[in-house]
Amino acid sequence: MQTLEEVLERYEAVIGLEVHTELTTLETKMFCGCKLEFGAEPNTHTCPVCLGLPGALPVPNKAAIESIVLAGLATNCDIEKHSMFYRKNYMYPDMAKNFQTTQGPVAFCMRGHLDLEVGGAAAKERHGLAGAKAGDAFENVTVTEEGYRAHVGITRIHMEEDAGKMVHVGGEEGRIAGATHSLVDYNRAGTPLIELVTEPDLRTPEEARLFMQKLRQIYLTLGISDCSMEEGSLRCDGNVSLRRRGSTELGTKTELKNINSFKSLHDGLLYEIRRQAQVLDEGGIIYQETRHWDPSAKRTIVMRVKETADDYRLFPEPDLAPYDLSDEFISRVRAKLPELPDDKAARFQEEFGLSAYDAQHLVEHRSTASFFEACMADADKKLAKPVANLIINDVTAWLNANADASLEDSALTPARAVQLVGLVDAGAISSKQGKEVFAAVLEEDADPKAIVEERGMEQVSDTGAIEAVVDAVLAENPDKVEQYKGGKMGLIGFFVGQCMKQMQGKGNPQLINQLLEEKLS
Amino acid sequence: MTQHLTESEVRGIAEYTRIGMTEDEVAQMTVDLNSIIDSLEPIREYQLDGVEPTFHPIGSLSNVMREDVEAAGFTQEEALANAPKQQNGSFLIPAILGDGGDR
Amino acid sequence: MAALGTPFGQMSVAQLQAGLAAKEFSCHEVAAATLDVIEEADAPLHAFLEVTRDAALAAADALDARVDADAFAQAGALAGVPVGYKDNMNLVGTHTTCASNMLESYVSPYTATCVAKTLQAGAVPVGKLNMDEFAFGSSTETSAFGPTLNPWDATRVPGGSSGGSAAAVAAGLVPVALGSDTGGSIRQPASFCGVVGVKPTYGMVSRYGVVAFGSSLDQVGPFARTVEDAALALNAICGHDPLDCTSQPCSVDFTANLSEGVKGMKVGIIPAFMEAEGLSAEVKAKVEEAAAKLEAAGAELREVELPNAKAAISAYYVLGPCEAFSNLARFDSVRYGYSDPGHKDLGSQYEASRAKGFGLEARRRIMLGSYLLSAGVYEQYYYPAQQVRTLITEDYMKAFDQVDCLLAPAAPRTAFKFGEMAEPAEMYLSDMFTISINIAGNGGMSMPVGLGAESGLPVGVQLMGPAFKDENMLRVAAELERIYGPAPVAPGFKAGE
Repeated sequence: MQTLEEVLERYEAVIGLEVHTELTTLETKMFCGCKLEFGAEPNTHTCPVCLGLPGALPVPNKAAIESIVLAGLATNCDIEKHSMFYRKNYMYPDMAKNFQTTQGPVAFCMRGHLDLEVGGAAAKERHGLAGAKAGDAFENVTVTEEGYRAHVGITRIHMEEDAGKMVHVGGEEGRIAGATHSLVDYNRAGTPLIELVTEPDLRTPEEARLFMQKLRQIYLTLGISDCSMEEGSLRCDGNVSLRRRGSTELGTKTELKNINSFKSLHDGLLYEIRRQAQVLDEGGIIYQETRHWDPSAKRTIVMRVKETADDYRLFPEPDLAPYDLSDEFISRVRAKLPELPDDKAARFQEEFGLSAYDAQHLVEHRSTASFFEACMADADKKLAKPVANLIINDVTAWLNANADASLEDSALTPARAVQLVGLVDAGAISSKQGKEVFAAVLEEDADPKAIVEERGMEQVSDTGAIEAVVDAVLAENPDKVEQYKGGKMGLIGFFVGQCMKQMQGKGNPQLINQLLEEKLS
Repeated sequence: MTQHLTESEVRGIAEYTRIGMTEDEVAQMTVDLNSIIDSLEPIREYQLDGVEPTFHPIGSLSNVMREDVEAAGFTQEEALANAPKQQNGSFLIPAILGDGGDR
Repeated sequence: MAALGTPFGQMSVAQLQAGLAAKEFSCHEVAAATLDVIEEADAPLHAFLEVTRDAALAAADALDARVDADAFAQAGALAGVPVGYKDNMNLVGTHTTCASNMLESYVSPYTATCVAKTLQAGAVPVGKLNMDEFAFGSSTETSAFGPTLNPWDATRVPGGSSGGSAAAVAAGLVPVALGSDTGGSIRQPASFCGVVGVKPTYGMVSRYGVVAFGSSLDQVGPFARTVEDAALALNAICGHDPLDCTSQPCSVDFTANLSEGVKGMKVGIIPAFMEAEGLSAEVKAKVEEAAAKLEAAGAELREVELPNAKAAISAYYVLGPCEAFSNLARFDSVRYGYSDPGHKDLGSQYEASRAKGFGLEARRRIMLGSYLLSAGVYEQYYYPAQQVRTLITEDYMKAFDQVDCLLAPAAPRTAFKFGEMAEPAEMYLSDMFTISINIAGNGGMSMPVGLGAESGLPVGVQLMGPAFKDENMLRVAAELERIYGPAPVAPGFKAGE
């Protein structure tokens, strides 16, 4: 198979996403008062409604409707005042009523969008950027200094309910294929679910990944879901098709399922684009089918071929009254909108003079953004950049390496972080020492100043003391001094190293440098 | 009588609604359904341009919702009391062949 | 021929409660005697699918223990009254079969709101009543457990789908029963059995816990032999239920205006109904007679048009099956209901269970609904049927701008013989006068007005009222009751006659 770059040279990849999110932060299910809880004993959170017993009727959860309106407002959607629930009829054992209650042509949220900032190596994947300069615009793209900004349309976000869970027994690894029987648990059945559908505006696997990350960030900021891809509270299907460059006709798409991480989404789409290109290049046909991403085999496999369009016999749910949302309801929800990541990033740039890149990274996680704000509450604004660096580099690396760790519960308090950054900024310790102190703070739960003192790390910035060492080093290495003066300027590093060695690493490197240059000139 | 549905289409509907049928039953059902659908024809001859549909009778109701408050439900035993088959607190079903739709 | 039933079952609610209040008998005695008679007398009639002896005696004993006879009036509108429930209503711990093999062994783990409300009002639940399977039918012949006989003539059907409810009340087994009405399923059997049957305005009674047939059409209502008893039962069951989004508040006392008479009321006659093909001469004559007597009693008669009502039957046989198809999808052999044994894969278990669990009419309606909702067909039938609903609703609104109540036939003819209606489409016509009101959602009721001149069988006239003004039709019904006398207990029959 060809590389992505080779494929995208000749084909345009057209990608759309369908993102299902369980509203896990609510107390109860969508249409009944059963508790929402992940991992409970099977069938302990059920009632006539979510078991689909004869005679049971649904009553919608108001907080779920507020959540989806919140999601719509945060993703620039129009909120439709008039909408209805529909029944989507198909028989499957995890769906107690054998129809899913969902929405019809009009969803609560319609016609939204998110703008993605694509930078670095990923920006090169997008075709047509070569030679473009910042400010240029084409398709849904605006070129920026770091890469480009892509405008991704959101078709709709609609409200629905999740199905129960099945365990397949008797086959391999819990797979449905080969299983002799299955066990059904309806605890999850009826969990409020919002489905976001994008326009087919995405063109690279990286854009798809960035979209999902950004959406997750927004949902977490709104507090409407725990957005765990692992536990299935955030799920994503990708539709992808290829078309020859220059063609406007959409190719046949395949649907990618079983995506349980951002990496799977990226890798699955990447594989699918390359696979489709190979099929097309060989004169083959792409079938409209559902494919399953197998991360261990690193390939997609066919789940089922859609010979005809599914006919779900959709019709308005007669048991539920239609919606006629008032302006007052919508503005009450709007008032609950927290500061969204993009707005926060803009404020960080404005208020603290951070770069767009730094600001975006800080707001990528709610915890890092609020940590930064806590740090800067009392700190000197000139420390904003080093504090941001500490968070973006050291803290993020530490969080990535310690999956279970949380910044809130760690020994690194905002005050300690500011103290640490202050020590480096004042030249009391080197930035390399700063990293050691950072690790020690987390390890020993102590203040940076105490660690520096205890370990005797305080930098020597006394010119007299350093001068003596510099003189001694130069005296010990007359041949190297000759070579330096003869033009081998690189030897400066050797002299600095020797001085540091004699001072057990405590010498202020700037001062050493400065004195060496004076004496050697 | 108009042939609205062929036997093959009726067989398709039986599959979709998961009702097993013999060939004789399909034949009789085809006759019955065609006769009933014939009697529905007035609905298609009605002049309905510009008429809004009424999906919910007594149209004054809207926005009916409940607060997000937990209500008493079933114990596991109650939930499974009518289960034809059960195992380990779950409903037990035989193997699922093929697949059932949008998942 | 001795009348079937008990002295208790033949009493009105007021008579029963007077006796209970005066301690002439206890609730336990009423319940026990009623249960005994049902168990004996119902064998040939087959109105009951289950006699809930334990639940009845427990309720009666609790009432006896709780209620100070001097304060009996406070014990609830139905205190001590034996009540039967159509078998599509859940009552915890009892079977709810919908007269289907699919649910033969199903035991309700919860109670329907309408049932719970009668129990709160002091009712004594004596049993579950026969019906057409899942309410699909107009004769109770589609019950998987055998039909109910008409207490007036054992060779004839009691009507349906709430045939068991109508027959039990007509036979004097219980003073009050609940039924449900999707296209006439309370009014037509009430007419066939000569009792009062009320389908309230859609939304007045909670549907929670009543097994759904057509969700936008179904409504629960009472059967009784007197208008007052029906009104008392209605008082007990109506009102908003937080578990049913389509239910609405109701604070009317339906007994309040029963004695007011009809002087000054405007009663509408629908000429197109009176000239309808298929309306028998004896029923037509009875409706005309009732109209004349109401006029004599001071009502003003007016002719009103329902120009779109003629589309109601086709709209109904689109909407009903579509909703039923979806409502009955849940019967899949997984969580409850009939599960055909021995299948290695779910697909074949589904198909065998649903083939054997559902009767022919249920399968027919499921498949019809599935077809009517399919892509490309939806636009031709379902959508126009909902547009027709708009027109019919507007027709009724305009009619009730002119009149307080409408008077019409309930059924085109009196009770027919078993097996007489062989074709589904023919059977569907027996609801021709009742269906349009379900489409619009207004209340309607059947009121007995004596026996047909030809058949000698009960005839009911249908009264219909403005939405949520069901007291209008009850007031007219009360006048008819004063004119014709209260509905007699069916003269009885001998099994096999």
